[in-house]
Amino acid sequence: MIQVDHLTKAYDDLSRGRFVAVDQVSFSIGRGEIFGLLGPNGAGKTTVLRILSTVLSPTSGTAKIAGHDVTTDPATVRRNIGFVSNNTAIYDRMTAWELVTYFGRLHGMPRRPLESRLETLFDQLRMNEFRNVPGGKLSTGMKQKVSIARAMVHDPPVLIFDEATLGLDVLVARNLLEVIKGLRLSGKCLIFSTHIMSEVQRLCDRIAIMHQGRILDIGTLKELRERHDEDEFEELFFGLLSKHGKGTEEDSNQTGQVDSPFPSDGEASA
Amino acid sequence: MSRQDQSSDDLRAESGKPRLSAIVLIYVREMRDQLRDRRTLFTIALLPIMLYPLVGTLLLQIAQFSQKHTTTICLVGSENIQGGPPLLKGDAFSEEYTDGSNNLTVVLRRADDVDEGETLQEATVQWVQDGSFDCVLMFPPSFVAPASEQGQTKRSVEVLYNVSSDESQIAMSRVTTILGKWRSAWVGQSLEASGIDMAMLEPFQWKDVDLSPERTREAAFWSKMLPFIMLVWAMTGAFYPAIDLVAGEKERGTLETLLCSPALRSEIVWGKLGAVASFSMLTAILNAGSMLVTSYFVVQRIGVGGAAIGAPPLVPMLWLFVALIPLSCLFSALALAVAAMARSSKEGQYYLMPLMMVTLPLVLLPMLPGMNLSAGTSLIPVTGMFLLVRALVEGQYSESMLHFPLVFGVTVGCLWLAVTWAKRQFENEAVLFGGQEQWEFGAWVKHLWRDRQPVATTAQAYACGAIILVALFFGRLAATAVPDDLAGITKMILNSQLGLILTPALLMSVMLTTSIRSSLRVRWPHWFSLPMAVALGVTLHPLYLALGRWIEYTYPVSAEALQAMRPFLDQVETAPWYSIVFLMAFIPAVCEELAFRGFIFAGLVRQGGRLRAMVVTALMFGISHGFLQQSIAASCMGVLIGWVALRTGSVLPCILLHFTSNALSVSMSRLTNSRLPGIDLFITTTQDGAVYQPLWFLMSIGLAITCVMYFATLRSPVEESNAGGCSVETGPPNTNSQQSAG
Repeated sequence: MIQVDHLTKAYDDLSRGRFVAVDQVSFSIGRGEIFGLLGPNGAGKTTVLRILSTVLSPTSGTAKIAGHDVTTDPATVRRNIGFVSNNTAIYDRMTAWELVTYFGRLHGMPRRPLESRLETLFDQLRMNEFRNVPGGKLSTGMKQKVSIARAMVHDPPVLIFDEATLGLDVLVARNLLEVIKGLRLSGKCLIFSTHIMSEVQRLCDRIAIMHQGRILDIGTLKELRERHDEDEFEELFFGLLSKHGKGTEEDSNQTGQVDSPFPSDGEASA
Repeated sequence: MSRQDQSSDDLRAESGKPRLSAIVLIYVREMRDQLRDRRTLFTIALLPIMLYPLVGTLLLQIAQFSQKHTTTICLVGSENIQGGPPLLKGDAFSEEYTDGSNNLTVVLRRADDVDEGETLQEATVQWVQDGSFDCVLMFPPSFVAPASEQGQTKRSVEVLYNVSSDESQIAMSRVTTILGKWRSAWVGQSLEASGIDMAMLEPFQWKDVDLSPERTREAAFWSKMLPFIMLVWAMTGAFYPAIDLVAGEKERGTLETLLCSPALRSEIVWGKLGAVASFSMLTAILNAGSMLVTSYFVVQRIGVGGAAIGAPPLVPMLWLFVALIPLSCLFSALALAVAAMARSSKEGQYYLMPLMMVTLPLVLLPMLPGMNLSAGTSLIPVTGMFLLVRALVEGQYSESMLHFPLVFGVTVGCLWLAVTWAKRQFENEAVLFGGQEQWEFGAWVKHLWRDRQPVATTAQAYACGAIILVALFFGRLAATAVPDDLAGITKMILNSQLGLILTPALLMSVMLTTSIRSSLRVRWPHWFSLPMAVALGVTLHPLYLALGRWIEYTYPVSAEALQAMRPFLDQVETAPWYSIVFLMAFIPAVCEELAFRGFIFAGLVRQGGRLRAMVVTALMFGISHGFLQQSIAASCMGVLIGWVALRTGSVLPCILLHFTSNALSVSMSRLTNSRLPGIDLFITTTQDGAVYQPLWFLMSIGLAITCVMYFATLRSPVEESNAGGCSVETGPPNTNSQQSAG
């Protein structure tokens, strides 16, 4: 469903000159698969996902979603994806129901099927008690649910979640992870980024570990463990980072502070 | 989405064309969103409806107050008034001098009635200064028995007043009017006493009759005032929603939600543009309407200014609303494009001022006295529309219809440019997501040096243009007079061309780019384009001269300007031909082309900015010419040269084209006098100087079109679009053509 081939994104930066946020990233994801992008802040996860959602365009390389190229056919790509990130907020002066309806209509869905789809979604995500509350009055968790409903309203084959659990309490995050599991069963292709290792371990079929714009390693949890001869996933992760960076601590501090000019989740919410 | 849902709309979206349904959807949402905001409702609807009646009430009260205010005058030395008809009747001025108006209080004082220790002079000055009297009229004792000089009596009266006080000024003018009438009466009395008939002094009377229909008279004031107020409100009414709909959404993070929805960028722009334009129109209509209605009643009640400001005619004002639609759209598109640059609402507010500064002159221009609808003024954006509306309000329908196509064309053209700009902004990811980092001077200088590219960046190109234009402005201020000898002219041209135009471009090229050649676009084009550029210059010259003459006819050059240019033109005629061609054709062609079609063009043409490069360099090139008539002609020529620059990818054909055209301009009269065989076929001499033969004029147009067609067949070089083949990009690559729908 998703093919990413030598994807690169670079831009001019005042302090560092040419800065490569995403460097020759390649991977592919199939139907019914949950793919996790794991990496520290500023690793380039958000940039990759933004390119996949056609909001940014790549400097070089290609990315295809359901056979459509993100640069040459962005409109069709956007019809086939649902994108949730910390930067995709909801409107304050629209109720949850109105907002999801609005995006359904933008997808060109006729009124009737849209309404029944909304009923299903609101039931599934347990959103009925606040369906008529304006966005400005919703809690963070409720807002996130509305965003997910917004992304799923047109039943897209591909879902892209960028740090979707960030800032959610344990209860809501758990509920969300259940939803994601359910999506796998219905044959969706799902790519999500996080820096929380437990989520990755629990959900992902395959994992890519990103650092400084590059994918350090990619594979199932089992494959990664075998390859690096390390059972503890956290140790494995830090081992990989320190092997590639000049020193994990120093490095992650630095990248954490000076990120891409496009605000990524971590910095934006911090 | 299932396949059977596939409607024609979906097919449109897949082909990248904006869908009406999506635009309406976005428009409705934005409108509803704004209407749910209490602040918007307050500023757009409530404020104007409440504001004007309140101001009106206040005005009425002030008017009553000022009508009641009486003028107090102190008349000192009434006992000295002797001789002539009586000035006073009881304690007041005689009624025949005051026209019966009664809000004039006169206090009589004797000249010797002052407090102790104070002279009369000091006392009266004190009265006027502290405002106890608006003015003091003094009849000195000498008024009784005036000194006689050669049989003529010299009497004098003093009127003391304070120019810094309005009341005092009014009092002074009333007193002098009364004194004038009294003096005339005195003269009449004396003449009659010596047996002269008064009728001899005034052999006839006159009466002035204003022939303008009542409607025009009333409209005259309002047709100037109201469009101005309406346009200012249309601007403000466009700006605040635009900030909220773009910068505000960026800040709140909802813009990205919309950008990753299936809505095309063009649909988003059109939807938002519609909403902003609606609010702009609503604000303007409510404000203008409320003001119109209020002033209708207020003016009727107090009748300020008499006939000059009648009550506003309500029906003709409807024309205003017709003009409001395109102008609101224009402002909205501009506001949307500008607001897209802001990262937050707060930042957006900062951009309001520059936008106002740019558009306000266009709104103020029609208010100038003597500005009327003509072929010249109808070409000025906004101003033309404004004047057209004024003509319509005043009922000059035939005049309006005559200029309607021009005004309409200009307005549509501006609208198209503004909307295109707004759409470009929405396709530019650097505009939508960029600029998060802190700006630091040191880092910036380092960045300028470290990240040099073969050609200038867009910002550097704009900066270069601005530097050149500002330098030329001050250069002209510094030059005191037009030189009248060849040495002076040489100095002037070399100074401005080499020093102020070429040097900035050259310096920037050396310091800010890695390749002087490619940053100035000095590269070999196809060899054949060089003679073709010369041919185009020759064949286009008759048309260019005709354009110049038309411009001078439409926007006549003032007599003073012509007079000032005279010695300069004389020198051009008499100085050696080769030196004039060198100075006025070769030098400008090389310097101006290297700067405008070289450095600046190269910076602007990158990232798909072909249209931008052509239009902006043409405008800068035009403005650099100093005075309006030349600027317009040069701008037109600039677009064509810019197009040749684009087609050939090189500055060399541009230099040749520019040189040919300039050289022909300065050599026309010499060519007729040269008696070259066959020259009569092309040029003839009339009283206006050397002009082209009509037959050659027609033929030349045909040949020019052939040359243009040759250039049209050239394929512009590949590296034009991707920043001169360099690997670093500052914005999205040109392949980001996702919404090239428009």
